[in-house]
Amino acid sequence: MIEIKQLAKAFAISKQHKLSDSEKNDVRFGGDRFHSVRDVSFSCQAGEVLALLGPNGAGKTTTLRLLSTALQPDSGSVLIDGQDVIKKPLQARKRIGFLSSSTGLYGRLTARENVAYFGRLHGMNENDLNQRIDELFTLLQMHEFANRRADNMSTGMKQKTAIARAVVHSPKVVILDEPTTGLDIMTVQTVLDFIRSLKQQGTPVIFSTHHLDEVAALCDRVVVIHDGVSAFNGSLAEFRALTAEGDLRDGFLQVINKEAV
Amino acid sequence: MWQVYQKELLELMRDKKTLMFVVLLPLLIFPLLFGLMGLVMSNVSRQAEAEEHRYVIINAERAPAFADALFYHKNFKKVETDLTDASDLKQAIRDDKFDVAIVIPADFDLSADNLNQSKWQLIHNSSSQLDMVSKHFNDLLKTFSKKLQQDKLAGLGVSSDKVAAVLEPVTVERINTAENRENIGEKIGGFIAYLLVPLVLAGASYPAMDIGAGEKERGTLETLLICPISRTAIVLGKFLTVLTTGLVSAALTVISFGGWGYLIGSMAGVDVVAKTMETLGFIDLTLILALLLPLSAIFAAMLLSLSIYARSYKEAQNYIGPVTMVVFMPLVVAILPGVELNWKTAMVPVLNVALSIKELVKGTIDYLLLAAVLGSTLLIAAGAIAFCVSWFQKEKVLFR
Repeated sequence: MIEIKQLAKAFAISKQHKLSDSEKNDVRFGGDRFHSVRDVSFSCQAGEVLALLGPNGAGKTTTLRLLSTALQPDSGSVLIDGQDVIKKPLQARKRIGFLSSSTGLYGRLTARENVAYFGRLHGMNENDLNQRIDELFTLLQMHEFANRRADNMSTGMKQKTAIARAVVHSPKVVILDEPTTGLDIMTVQTVLDFIRSLKQQGTPVIFSTHHLDEVAALCDRVVVIHDGVSAFNGSLAEFRALTAEGDLRDGFLQVINKEAV
Repeated sequence: MWQVYQKELLELMRDKKTLMFVVLLPLLIFPLLFGLMGLVMSNVSRQAEAEEHRYVIINAERAPAFADALFYHKNFKKVETDLTDASDLKQAIRDDKFDVAIVIPADFDLSADNLNQSKWQLIHNSSSQLDMVSKHFNDLLKTFSKKLQQDKLAGLGVSSDKVAAVLEPVTVERINTAENRENIGEKIGGFIAYLLVPLVLAGASYPAMDIGAGEKERGTLETLLICPISRTAIVLGKFLTVLTTGLVSAALTVISFGGWGYLIGSMAGVDVVAKTMETLGFIDLTLILALLLPLSAIFAAMLLSLSIYARSYKEAQNYIGPVTMVVFMPLVVAILPGVELNWKTAMVPVLNVALSIKELVKGTIDYLLLAAVLGSTLLIAAGAIAFCVSWFQKEKVLFR
């Protein structure tokens, strides 16, 4: 289980940067800092899949980077199974698997070496690592290109390798930042199948997306982030109930527009 | 840290571009380039030496011995002309009618009783670096003058056995107190740093770009950052990789030049390598390496810091280019004549190491100064590494 409370993060704005009119009206510009994430709270139980929705630039990626400990929050807390992620980032990282559509692989290493490198960095011993890699490669049908260099792989193969890399250390929670953006239909299916298998194993999954059909097909909970604030936080059923027709798109727009007023 | 180091090295070994820069450049391309340069140079000078110059001589009948010597010289070919005026001759040379004009004054008198100095004119284009015309002309004139000199002295009553004493009353025999080693060291000592330091830099900069900015560009950095190892360990692993490639590149160059030197030396019958090793000795060689190591560490830390800051490969290249220029400056200063290692120059990074290496090769190092240079370089290296490590912790650097 993962719990996020009142997360906030601001970035310094360089002095040369002149604010445009629209930026001046943005509530997130305060003084010499840009408050990318102001107040985000949600939680995700075991076996739940949580979708993070929001317009571009709303603060989704920053939120996920805070969760994955790549960035340090200014305030707020992140707890995984009751353990504080921010206070002990090194231990917490062993419990987190992270993947985004833009994360790359080391082109000159093979699929197996790419996965093994991160396994070793996660402190796995060689026996466990080899066993785990075999298990994952069977699950994702990767054996045929296990020894091919990443530079010579198709996008689908790369994404499978990236998935294996993200979960090689059997994380307690998996965070995905727009994992399906820019991928073809077959590869998207691989990613969605993978999320489903995590759900079956009872691993909580948090992922950000722009595709509402993925939300409808997979998710238990929905969080909408707008202007750095979690504007909606509830179950999929509650999200559907926002409009009389139960249309997710209209519901999403309603949340965004309500915030703006 | 070692896992990062191991993996980076493995990845770099598989990269053709790195192999080019680190291995091929020093092993094959540099010796080949130097060899080619030498070949071209010797060809050009041989050509210049064989070149034939068309000449005209005015009032040749006043000095027939000289005119004959000129006529029979293999590099001179006589051309006839009616011109006599200096400015006309000049114009004719510009118009490529001939290459050189020698004007003997009409009143030139060969006879021994005439003791007036005569002024001849040599008109030609002397802008060429290999001015063979002057060289040949001077040789001929010297022989001619010597003969005249002897005749005139004889005319004055100086017997031939006294001629030498009259012409050159005092001769000096020079005895050099500098050891042979000092001379060699002065000449090549500066060049060792001039050659090695840029090689370290070149060998280190490509990998630095690849594992800093390259990792950002590929999108692997974020994944690496959320691994349960500290950022200090990551950056130190990367730092060691950059340092290793820089040093390997330099070491390969030394080995390569040693090998080629040995090969050429043994063909020519002189063992250059053994001689160099003999003069340098083990301790000095170790000290040279001890100086290069912290300097390489400074470069590695500097390059990595720039590379991590850059958003992309291209940006990293833009940053690293000027740095290379800055490093070159002190190296050039070090090979200028008259620049020596003292307390002032010992305070200038890079320059101090270059000068220390020069002194070490010469065998005239002041060990107190050497300690100061080594100490200050180590200090700067430690500072550079510390900066690189703290730089790597900053979010505004990593997530730009």
